[in-house]
Amino acid sequence: MKVTVRGQETFVSTGGREFNPMDNVLLFIHGSGQSHLSYMLQGRFFANRGWSVLTPDMPAHGLSKGAALITIEDMADWMAELLDTLAVSSANVVGHSQGGLIGLELARRYPAKVKGLSQVATALAIPVNDALLSMAENKEPAAIAAMTDWGHGVDGHRHDHTMPGQDHMNYGKQLMAANASGALFADLTACVNYTGGSDAAAAVRCPCQVILGQKDKMTPLKFGLKMAEALDVSNPVVVAGAGHMLPSERPNEVNKALRSFFEIN
Amino acid sequence: MSGDYKFNTLGLHAGHSPDSRHGSRAVPIHQTTSYVFQDTEHAAALFNMEVGGHIYSRISNPTVAVLEQRLAALEGGIGSVATSSGMAALFLTVLALCSAGDHIVSSSQMYGANINLFEHTLKRYGITTTFVKPNDLSGFKAAIRPNTKMVFGEVIGNPGMDIMNVPEVGKITAAAGVPLVIDATFNTPWLFKPLENGANIVIHSLTKWIGGHGIALGGAVIDGGSFDWGQNDRFPTLTEPHFGFQGVNLWEEFGPAAFITRVRTEGMYNVGPCLSPTNAFHLIQGIETLGLRMERHMANTVKMLEFLTGHEGISWVKHPLLPDHPDHDVAKRLMPKGAGSIIACGIKGGRAAGRAFIENVQVASHLANVGDAKTLVIHPGSTTHSHITPEAMEAAGLTDDLVRISVGLEDFDDLAADFNAALRIAGKVAGAAL
Repeated sequence: MKVTVRGQETFVSTGGREFNPMDNVLLFIHGSGQSHLSYMLQGRFFANRGWSVLTPDMPAHGLSKGAALITIEDMADWMAELLDTLAVSSANVVGHSQGGLIGLELARRYPAKVKGLSQVATALAIPVNDALLSMAENKEPAAIAAMTDWGHGVDGHRHDHTMPGQDHMNYGKQLMAANASGALFADLTACVNYTGGSDAAAAVRCPCQVILGQKDKMTPLKFGLKMAEALDVSNPVVVAGAGHMLPSERPNEVNKALRSFFEIN
Repeated sequence: MSGDYKFNTLGLHAGHSPDSRHGSRAVPIHQTTSYVFQDTEHAAALFNMEVGGHIYSRISNPTVAVLEQRLAALEGGIGSVATSSGMAALFLTVLALCSAGDHIVSSSQMYGANINLFEHTLKRYGITTTFVKPNDLSGFKAAIRPNTKMVFGEVIGNPGMDIMNVPEVGKITAAAGVPLVIDATFNTPWLFKPLENGANIVIHSLTKWIGGHGIALGGAVIDGGSFDWGQNDRFPTLTEPHFGFQGVNLWEEFGPAAFITRVRTEGMYNVGPCLSPTNAFHLIQGIETLGLRMERHMANTVKMLEFLTGHEGISWVKHPLLPDHPDHDVAKRLMPKGAGSIIACGIKGGRAAGRAFIENVQVASHLANVGDAKTLVIHPGSTTHSHITPEAMEAAGLTDDLVRISVGLEDFDDLAADFNAALRIAGKVAGAAL
């Protein structure tokens, strides 16, 4: 569906089902240079199991208009405004990668809006090396290729997809290339500049879950485990052999973990 | 690892992980029609495409999926659907994009069945086609109309070996907001990758070089995922509610995979030209050696060109590597490793000499296929076009002395000896005719 946030047309995937703000709302927040499509195998799954799913394309991403946001804090504010626009008083929130930073900040700044928080393949901070940042600014296709490579684990590199006939790596590249030019650089810059992860985690009061990839090169496991500790999550889910693109590469494990967490909460 | 695997590694491994229970190194043949659901929720999830997996082998099959994923990896596509033949792949592509009242722009120099599909079959369903010579760039631009849903051509035209300048045609189609669909059968991804050069969709007859063994028919549609189906209202099959899956909008729901999802969910569900798992297995065996075979095909083709151009029994030779071919420069630029292993040549002495040559080769096989590991020959003047006058053949771009050679992998000395012997007999026939 299309809604207007800050005066800009914003696309929000509802997993192919009609959205009802009075139902149990599940908000999926995408990562750097991604879009709602990175949750393609979560949105439909949960929308067909009674949740009201919201997977927005952030400004300049996917099918949304407007200029890319440039700080994690502003992205969290934007998410809160989206929920207000849709008359959602509170939601369970899933954040992948940069979306996890936004999720942390959303839970800290708007505690009443976040019923539960699941952090998928993310950390308290996501530093970005200078070479990647430079590529994102000056050679975006090269940055997309590098991130697609580093982001995928063994399944992606073997081109072995759970959806018959589909290809992780090439799909990932096209998904990122479909965003407005400059969106990736804005995202990575926002990640570099965000230093509030530890403070935000300390302030989070809602139930939390952490799902991590054992072979994640983008947000390595040890940093994910530190985040779990900061969020008082004693039983983080570690998906054996998985890389950073957990939602698409290991949808069955991710969906099972999310479902068990949100059904309890 | 760093970066994607290279061609030969992908050809051996892409799309397959040995299963944890049995560890079969080879891709297993899942010779089954259907799959046991875990429970009713799992069944519903599969039908709704909420989760990956298989329902019924007309729609998808684990062995076929390995082939599809391997092809997508080799071509640089976001997904693929394998079909029972190359013609089925082309038809499902048209089905996913076109409806009655729509229009196609196509190369005029193509495989006859492609021409017939566009010129006759689709016309009965209200889809019309404008044919343009494959190297007529301004012709492509002029032919695109508001209701044009695809531009189609072959990289290496069959049988004339005209070369389509895919990058330049791709610029025209991109500017017009129309997808470029390319039949890449004769080049294979080893010679040229259309998706990296301006094309949006690739189709293959896998029966030819991809399989290489001549034992299994198959085809494939490979989606580059690069086309913006939402840029205009030209593609309602992808941007308006789909009758499957509670009326979802495929472009919004699946993004770059909208087209290939439509091919599977409409083409396979409602038409059903599925590839058998056993044929998929055979085709996978072919792909494992595609890189090695193509090297040899190209080496033998160069030797064959040298042999034919210097032979007194041959009146003319046509191949894009020869400097007098009208598309020689484009071919060298697009395909530096070679321009395919099909050669057309004229046997001195006309139709009778051509027939004599064909009937006297021993190593080469006289049959209606191309791309086999074995060298194949056919003489249209005495077979497919035997009932047609020389004048009518000329109008179709064929001559009655024309022999088409699909150069195989044999030791070249044996091929040369075989051709020499057959050409000697053809020469006697030609002499007798004089």
